[in-house]
Amino acid sequence: MFTEVLLALVIGGLIYFLVQRSKNQVLTTEDGWWGSGAPCDAGEDDTIRSFRVTTSDQELEDLYRRIDLTRPFPSLEDSQFNYGFNSQYLQKVVSYWRNEFDWRKQVDKLNLYPHFKTKIEGIDIHYLHVKPKKVPEGTSAVPLIMVHGWPGSFYEFYGLIPLLTDPSNPHDLVFEVVCPSIPGYGFSEAPNKKGFNSVCAARIFHKLMKRLGFQQYYAHGGDWGWLVTTNMAQLEPKTVKGLHLNFAPPSKPGLSMALSMMLGRHFPKLFGFTDFDIQRLFPCMEKLVVESIKETGYMHIQATKPDTVGRGLNDSPVGLAAYILEKFSTWTSHDFRNLDDGGLTRKFSLDDLLTNIMIYWTSGCIISSMRFYKENFGQGLDAPHAKIPVFVPTGFACFPNELMHTPKLWVKQKYRKLVTFTPMDRGGHFAAMEEPQLMAEDIQKFTKILCISYLQWIL
Amino acid sequence: PWPHIQRPKRPQEQSKKKPRTIPFGDGWWGVGEKTLSEDQKIYPFQVETSDKEIEDLYERIDRTRYADPLEDGRFHYGFNSTYLKKVVSYWRHEFDWKKQVAVLNKYPHFKTKIEGLDVHFIHVRPPHRENQKVLPIMIVHGWPGSFYEFYKILPLLTQSRDGVVFEVICPSIPGYGFSEASHKKGFNSLAAARIFLKLMERLGFSQFYLQGGDWGSLITTNMAQMKPQCVKGLHLNMCMSNRGFKVLLSLLIGPYLPFLVGLSREDVRRLFPFFEKNVFEMLRESGYLHIQATKPDTAGCGVNDSPVGLAAWILEKFSSWADLKNRDLEDGGLERKFSLDDLLTNVMIYWTTGSITSSMRFYKENLGSNLNNRVDFKTEIFVPTGFAAFPNELMHCPKSWAQIRYRNIQSYTFMPRGGHFAAFEEPQLLADDLFNFVKKVEKS
Repeated sequence: MFTEVLLALVIGGLIYFLVQRSKNQVLTTEDGWWGSGAPCDAGEDDTIRSFRVTTSDQELEDLYRRIDLTRPFPSLEDSQFNYGFNSQYLQKVVSYWRNEFDWRKQVDKLNLYPHFKTKIEGIDIHYLHVKPKKVPEGTSAVPLIMVHGWPGSFYEFYGLIPLLTDPSNPHDLVFEVVCPSIPGYGFSEAPNKKGFNSVCAARIFHKLMKRLGFQQYYAHGGDWGWLVTTNMAQLEPKTVKGLHLNFAPPSKPGLSMALSMMLGRHFPKLFGFTDFDIQRLFPCMEKLVVESIKETGYMHIQATKPDTVGRGLNDSPVGLAAYILEKFSTWTSHDFRNLDDGGLTRKFSLDDLLTNIMIYWTSGCIISSMRFYKENFGQGLDAPHAKIPVFVPTGFACFPNELMHTPKLWVKQKYRKLVTFTPMDRGGHFAAMEEPQLMAEDIQKFTKILCISYLQWIL
Repeated sequence: PWPHIQRPKRPQEQSKKKPRTIPFGDGWWGVGEKTLSEDQKIYPFQVETSDKEIEDLYERIDRTRYADPLEDGRFHYGFNSTYLKKVVSYWRHEFDWKKQVAVLNKYPHFKTKIEGLDVHFIHVRPPHRENQKVLPIMIVHGWPGSFYEFYKILPLLTQSRDGVVFEVICPSIPGYGFSEASHKKGFNSLAAARIFLKLMERLGFSQFYLQGGDWGSLITTNMAQMKPQCVKGLHLNMCMSNRGFKVLLSLLIGPYLPFLVGLSREDVRRLFPFFEKNVFEMLRESGYLHIQATKPDTAGCGVNDSPVGLAAWILEKFSSWADLKNRDLEDGGLERKFSLDDLLTNVMIYWTTGSITSSMRFYKENLGSNLNNRVDFKTEIFVPTGFAAFPNELMHCPKSWAQIRYRNIQSYTFMPRGGHFAAFEEPQLLADDLFNFVKKVEKS
């Protein structure tokens, strides 16, 4: 009897100790330097410089000349978007780009919000900093950092920003938004050294927010932005007050996830699966494995040979457009692969799509943007951050056509303090750009809950 | 291309009931509906170029927008930009395409229409035929190669040895180089095999040898499966091996008791450590295969406008597939086994014909659906077969594994050096092995 009790106490103590240990696990990181050569001894220039997107006649003429030099190759009869971007439809897009798209007008649109650059860890970091025009009496704006992914950019948030900084509903919170470009993307300088992964980006963004004077802030991200903001929450859980995501693929399948894959179809209620979950996840082999293989060719080559695959795309604007826009088609809905026009303009305007492409084109950043895949996946899927759960309050917006569907059970495996989980009616991978209204509402809902709990806590 | 996983077979299933051939079938790959009759004539063809073509190439090269490689990146991130600039500078200022076109034209080229497509080939007759046994042979290239890979081995094969000499046909796979690309979906290796069999028939050959590597090895294998009575012998430098229970067993026991599972010491040296050498390396090297087998039209788009992009995409393979260790070198070891003139001539064949996209589609047509369920992967090969196993080939296939499907292996040779582009890299070694194999077959 005595030995059993002792054994139970020892086991209990061990479990408690392990749980406590994982609770206290914080992601650690070392400082970095990404400029060329060795870091200079004198301190780093930490001034914040105003930045404007500019263009020139020369830039446009070079673009038009290259477009005119395109050598199109016809797609197979009746292949739609199943072999990649359909050549016949690509001609239509390119014709619009060449003859009607007004880059100067789009540049003015880009400059509507204030842009800045500042040097961190040896490289120039570009970001937007949008302060609200008016803030209700007695309150202050909620600081929020929003991080984009690939093949997107800060421009994806242009529809969402005004809904957060200047909401029409007087009961909504007012946000102060910072939208950086991940180093190697758009107007942020690319790292010159190997090893720049999501944890490094997270660390740099923390430094950015601190440099701007924020001690605590919220974070939002999708695609790579999901991983960078998650790393930010893992690096400094006390600084990130809330984490809002629309993409959260599980990095390490745990026991509950594996069980749910085996038994979920027959016992959905046991795992909290809705009808929609069942539809998106089962049969597992087809929906998870085969679909993934069909769509991850780009990821495989970018994670192994980024310099090779980006090489041609940096010379051929049409090649770049095909490569990037294929994702805006397929990742918005898989069914779009069977359409002759890839359904591209059903959810997006050509002006917006081409503006995003022009950011990649004019900055020549396609190669460095692809290297991020190698730096993150190159060492395999066993990075330290994949093993550490997230204890920062999290809100998840579950869009129906997202690439990888994550039911609530799977999200909770990593994000232990899931405050909101919102199944959305429509929208795919580029949710912020496709459905800014829905996204803004969810960010509002999530942040309000946290603000109220915070108020309740201090009162 | 890629060895595939097959579900394990029980020994009883490999019974006499299994078919010994695969269906010949038929096809039409031209634009629109099939025409009533087809022009069967064979037309001579000359590779040509023009000042306009060369100026366009130079303008595009001059417009290249380079990006710096990462410090100490070497060839681990793909083709190193710094070395690429050197290659491109040679291409722009010293490479003489007109001279290379003359080199290409030193053998007679032809085109003929089969199944709606213009099929290009070179036909090389040996200069001295008297008192020689002249053996017709078709040699098929792969990706990212072309018929040009064989220009070094052709003089060796058309030179008689002990009374034996070859008459060589080198076609271009439809969608590659000067062969017209299919306009319809579904053009896979079976279709290419059938078209090449029709070509040999049209040329008047009822019996011939076959040689192939890369896609060429699959296509020639299919040819031997379709019409074994026409194929006197099949010589391969790459084998797409099955995986199955037998293979799994040899992987588990092989490192410790190789002879028990039919592995020789050299096999062990080349295969193990299996996971590192085969699984991880293959994952690192197969990104191109994954994207070409799923989104060829997207992948080909940019490289059809950017000659430098095309060169990087193709030449990266000539670096890694000659020897995986080349990735540690600043220059990718490219010029150790190949001359820039030869490499760029191959690239120019893809560039001037704009065939990169259609060449990539071949991956999707073959690998897009489960290859193991295809009839040719379930059928054995009974024609006399010879294997030349080069040490730096992407994946080593021991004789015991090849024997699972190739039931009549007459010769299997461990080559001392060379990689994936065997005919290009080590033409003498390959020619020697081919002659030895053929002599064995002719004797029996």
